[in-house]
Amino acid sequence: MTSIDVHELTKDYGTKRAVDHLTFSVRPGRVTGFLGPNGAGKSTTMRLVLGLDRATGGSATIGGRPYTSLGNPLRRVGALLDAQAAHGSRTARNHLLTLAASNGIAAGRVEEVLVEAGLGSVGGRRIKTFSLGMRQRLGIAAALIGDPEVVMLDEPSNGLDPEGIIWIRELVRKLAGEGRTVLVSSHLMNETSSFADHLVVLGKGRLLVDMPMRDFLESRSRPGVRLRTTEPTRLRDALLRKGYEPAQGDDGCWAVAGASAEEIGVLAAIEGIPLLELMAEQATLEEAYLDLTSTETEFAATKFPLADQEA
Amino acid sequence: MTMSTTAVLHSEWIKIKSVRSVSGSLIAVFAATLFVTVFASSTVGQAEADNPGNDPLFSAFYALNFGQIAAISFGATALSSEFLNGALRTSLTAVPSRSLFYVAKMAVVGGLALVVGLITSFATFLVGQLFMGEYAIRLEEPGALRAAFGGGVYLALMALFAAGLTAVLRSALAVLSLLIPFILIVSFVVGGVAGGVAQYFPDQAGQLVLHAHQEGGLGPWTGLGVTAGWAGVALVAGWWTLRKRDA
Repeated sequence: MTSIDVHELTKDYGTKRAVDHLTFSVRPGRVTGFLGPNGAGKSTTMRLVLGLDRATGGSATIGGRPYTSLGNPLRRVGALLDAQAAHGSRTARNHLLTLAASNGIAAGRVEEVLVEAGLGSVGGRRIKTFSLGMRQRLGIAAALIGDPEVVMLDEPSNGLDPEGIIWIRELVRKLAGEGRTVLVSSHLMNETSSFADHLVVLGKGRLLVDMPMRDFLESRSRPGVRLRTTEPTRLRDALLRKGYEPAQGDDGCWAVAGASAEEIGVLAAIEGIPLLELMAEQATLEEAYLDLTSTETEFAATKFPLADQEA
Repeated sequence: MTMSTTAVLHSEWIKIKSVRSVSGSLIAVFAATLFVTVFASSTVGQAEADNPGNDPLFSAFYALNFGQIAAISFGATALSSEFLNGALRTSLTAVPSRSLFYVAKMAVVGGLALVVGLITSFATFLVGQLFMGEYAIRLEEPGALRAAFGGGVYLALMALFAAGLTAVLRSALAVLSLLIPFILIVSFVVGGVAGGVAQYFPDQAGQLVLHAHQEGGLGPWTGLGVTAGWAGVALVAGWWTLRKRDA
């Protein structure tokens, strides 16, 4: 199957280094989340992979070959870079038709992807009448037109309504489930955690993390449990005797840092204290990411980005 | 597997016909020229023809002055539509070979401009003469066929000249605000004064093919060749720019 392989990739714009000796691979059959603050180099990396920008150094290949050497590349790789990148005066159908025609893709695919992207009824409308969410759907339709093995989506959920965000999530899961190679960039942590299996995190153009999401969360979590009980005083004493430091939250729950659910469950059973709820706490992707960024000096001056689109 | 040139040409043809401002400019080459021809020759045509020193052949193609503005707009907008909102990225994702993309686009732009240019040029001559009464000339007249054919080629070359410039400057507005004042004012004014140099201007040189008799140093075909040279330089400059720059 087809991987995206980035090796020692470097890109300078004037004196500014946007991508700095970046090396990672995107493997088939899973969704790789591509994270990093605005300006970290995610979009630049994608443009370099597609041969739109020329690398200062290093290489980026798809299935071992540079993108620009692929014949009929839309049948191998589908990419959404910028939902605005379409001529507003063209209809959605004609926009897709120009792409299909150039790569020898049957014109019938145009209707199929329009329907798949939820644009079946507006294919004859000009793109400039589309909302941001509709343009985003059109961009995804364009990415899928060649039934590609490799799919790269840059901020696909940008401008989508809640139904659209769920659609994207299910779509990328389905594409990876079919064995395709899927790279999805985002700066929204909760969003990414809902579909990614693997993470590639950039900071200032450099690779910070390349590991399975589960491993990343575990490596960045401090173990702990949350629990509710009918006898807080007795439980608190038992925990203190064992050297834990339980803390009561506002909602009546107790948080015990450094403990596992197994230890606390057994302790409560021995003491005969009923537990109403016992839950191991794991860091969310957002917490893990912030934990990572607080330890990386290059992030020190970088505030976590809000929901503005990367240029 | 390499990409099919025919497929890329087909794609470029869909791009042109699916944007109204581009296809509209192409239609305007014909429509504006014919409109001006009918209007001018039906009103002042015979009176002008009566003037001493009038070149009836050159006058027959007077309306091409208006058609060429449309041809320039066509060439400029066909290219500039790629530079709007980063549409070029989408295009180059589909056709990563920039040379193939560029040559295919220019072939479609040039081919369409040539077909429409020839139809326009012949039509303007034939229709215009219907109003000229006793002054009418026929296609069999010396130089007439050459002028009608050359006029069509001239329109195509002006469209390609503008297209190449647009690939360099990445904006139809920049090209149109450069070329149209140049043709309407600079070339017209300087052309009367400077004599020698002005005949090498792209519009002045190319229009020599429309004259019945050779004036000055350049022959009709040489003049058209000079315009082809201008277009060629612009096309190569556009190709160079596209290859070198990040999309």
